[in-house]
Amino acid sequence: MPRALFLRLIALALCAGSLAAVAKPVRTAHVEAELVAETATIAAGQPFTVALRLKMAPEWHTYWRNPGDSGLPTTIAWTLPPGFQASDIQWPAPKALPVGPLMNYGFENEVFLLVDMQAPAGLATRSAVTLRAKANWLVCREVCIPESADLTLTLPVAAAASGNTAGSMGIAATRDALPRAPEGWRTSAHRGADGRVMLALDGAPAAAWRGATFFPHAEGKLEPADAQLLMLHERGAQLVLPPAKQPVGTFERADGVLVVLGTDGTPRAYVVDTPIVVTAPPDLGAVRGSAGGEPALGLAVALLFAFGGGLILNLMPCVFPVLSIKVLGAVRQAHGARREQFLHGLLFAAGVLATFLALAGALLALRAGGAQLGWGFQLQSPATVAALAALFFLLGLNLSGVFEFSLGATGAPRSAHPRVNALLGGVLAAVVASPCTAPFMGAAMGYAVTQPAAVALAIFATLALGMSLPFVILCAYPAWLKRLPKPGPWMVRFRQVLAFPLYATVVWLAWVLGTQSGVDVLGRFALALVALGFAAWAYGLAQAGAGKARIASAAGVLLALWLAWPATVPAALPSDRSAAADTGWEAWSPARVAELTAAGTPVFVDFTAAWCVTCQVNKQLVLQSATVRAAFAERGVALLRADWTNRDPAIGAALAALGRTGVPVYVLHRPGAAPQVLPELLREQIVLDALAPLPRTTTPRKETQP
Amino acid sequence: MNAMLRTSSPFVLAGLLFAAFPAQAAPTVGQPAPDFAVPDTAGKSVKLSDFRGKVVVLEWTNPGCPFVAKHYDSGNMQSLQKTWGAKDVVWLSISSTNPRSGDYQKPDQLAALWKKQGATPRALLMDDDGKVGRLYDARTTPHMYVIDPKGTLVYAGGIDDKRTTSQSDIKTAKNYVTAALTEVTAGKPVSTATATPYGCSIKYN
Repeated sequence: MPRALFLRLIALALCAGSLAAVAKPVRTAHVEAELVAETATIAAGQPFTVALRLKMAPEWHTYWRNPGDSGLPTTIAWTLPPGFQASDIQWPAPKALPVGPLMNYGFENEVFLLVDMQAPAGLATRSAVTLRAKANWLVCREVCIPESADLTLTLPVAAAASGNTAGSMGIAATRDALPRAPEGWRTSAHRGADGRVMLALDGAPAAAWRGATFFPHAEGKLEPADAQLLMLHERGAQLVLPPAKQPVGTFERADGVLVVLGTDGTPRAYVVDTPIVVTAPPDLGAVRGSAGGEPALGLAVALLFAFGGGLILNLMPCVFPVLSIKVLGAVRQAHGARREQFLHGLLFAAGVLATFLALAGALLALRAGGAQLGWGFQLQSPATVAALAALFFLLGLNLSGVFEFSLGATGAPRSAHPRVNALLGGVLAAVVASPCTAPFMGAAMGYAVTQPAAVALAIFATLALGMSLPFVILCAYPAWLKRLPKPGPWMVRFRQVLAFPLYATVVWLAWVLGTQSGVDVLGRFALALVALGFAAWAYGLAQAGAGKARIASAAGVLLALWLAWPATVPAALPSDRSAAADTGWEAWSPARVAELTAAGTPVFVDFTAAWCVTCQVNKQLVLQSATVRAAFAERGVALLRADWTNRDPAIGAALAALGRTGVPVYVLHRPGAAPQVLPELLREQIVLDALAPLPRTTTPRKETQP
Repeated sequence: MNAMLRTSSPFVLAGLLFAAFPAQAAPTVGQPAPDFAVPDTAGKSVKLSDFRGKVVVLEWTNPGCPFVAKHYDSGNMQSLQKTWGAKDVVWLSISSTNPRSGDYQKPDQLAALWKKQGATPRALLMDDDGKVGRLYDARTTPHMYVIDPKGTLVYAGGIDDKRTTSQSDIKTAKNYVTAALTEVTAGKPVSTATATPYGCSIKYN
């Protein structure tokens, strides 16, 4: 900084020869310490500012008032002439300094610790006063060294406090950057939905923020090394604060400094001092994005997770509904030309890819429009579910041989459009099987939706590639398919057998529709399926030569549409039905979680949806198992179920706060600890291990199945 | 600046894979102290659960740290070890300093160093990979823990309330470990169960 140096030299030159502020810097092994004044002279009865300037050797640091995981704050003990008064240190905002897995709060390079002084009245001009201070600090790099210095600063007394010193600029710049009151926005602190404390920044210009960190004045309240997730809302932002793993005392007041990093790269510090309340935070509008959260995946890692997640998706219970489509697709090609087989594999992949991109594009567009949506949103619409159920019913009837899809008048025994089938197979697989998230996939998608559209779409595309890769490989190397018997009557029977898994899929989708829209709509929809069945049967007759049956078929379709119509009306049912269905579970709400965790009760939250098959499997095999139920009961865990079968902005926001955008998500809130997210595919042992640290509240007893 | 922009190193990836699965929760006061088995300076494995039925103190230590030096040069830590050792309290000193750190001492060196200082812990444990340290969420040297005879963690935090490196402060400080041990050996609940730990950061790998 040649300019700064130049100005400093001028300041020194101006002071030289006249009555000058005199201080002796003290050099220790790693620090140069000095008392500096802002003005060359002080005046009787007037305030003035001095600073302890610490210049650390490169890579060494000293500490803030809360040093973080280790370290000590710098202290100044003054010995002042009679009548002088010194303020406490006005701390600049600290920097977070990671030390291995730990985090310190402190200063590197150079820091000015400002102290406001008040000179007494009646000081004689042309005299001089000497301020003495003993400064103590701990300076650390890899090792820590406690150091101290006895410092003096002699200042001439004049008619007015004036004139520049070598420290003037440093002091002024430090004062300008001191934490200030927020400009036009309100800060409040809430013990939030998940037991964590949330800072709500109502009206903050968060769109221009790249990140934010809250540095508490008190120690033992937050975990210094844990990331703070910043959620950007339409009208402000929320900062999720990670509680201390070993809390000291209770966290009752959010008192500290909020450092905000602007998109221009400039940090700004704001004063935060507000009690932590249990009431819900103010409505800040839709979530626009987030920054700095825990699942801070890099792009490369997110892509890797997406690819792996897509692969694993093929093994998740989610794919049951489309299993027969895939098996049929593979078997159909068993005896085709090698090139044609490979082409089918690619077409299937193209179908999956196109669908993922279309769904992701729609999701991103709707979210940008302010809708609180997450992955799987397509099945949150009863109309889509009804349409899919009808489609699967028709596919099943087709496999049963009731009719053929060929457009020609004569029913061809083989599929007339194998390429189209392969493509549509991919589309259906993606639409129906992808709503539930697989391990790795949840984290990757949670990252994706916070990124620019191009990055997000790249991640979703990678997910699609991962999901379709096994099928492509199967088509490229169809060795095992060659072992199938030669085409013959068995193919027809095999086709017919595969119809039954599709009927099961129809029942599942109908059940989803029932939970969304109620039993009356479900009843009408079942009738619509009967009408559709009639239409398909009549169409089959027409294909066999009975031309007039076409009219009956058309009538059946119209009847089906009329009957199914109520299913297209968005559901108005409360979303806690499936919670009520199981004893011991209650409906989730952010307020209820806050209430329970505030009372010290551990809480387990099941984020689920009827359309998420994986969720249902986890529920039946693990959450409802006698062992797990007994473990929950023994430890007095409150069980809350967040049912996302229908759209619910509160659930969407809670998932976003966990860095997720889809279900299943299982969260265990332990008193005084950060919420623990369990894997998407549960096993009894995973839940039991997670519960193990909780104290037993009742003596273990033989649990009888309720 | 932004963690998200950092490119992925194998370490980041390994960390994330680890993070994707449920992490072991930090022990909380009032809950069972997690068990561990770790070699002492002679290479003999020492297991926490072997001391069930006795009061156990865990002391994180590093001779290169001025805060540790404060309590050893003054004889404060040795006197605690002796006083409570005589009352059948098991005192385990643990080094979680990683071997690449400048503060690291080989097992025999560390044993000799503490012996010369007159330290008498039941065992001096070499937690080179920091597993036990992370298990207990230990962050400073010294960082003190007290475990009751039932295996419950009853104290976690600093050795006392004078957060300095100055030996003269020891006389006037309230020693939380003494207080906790006095209460727990008398079968009473520990009145100050947590306090802010102070010292140098543990040199984890």
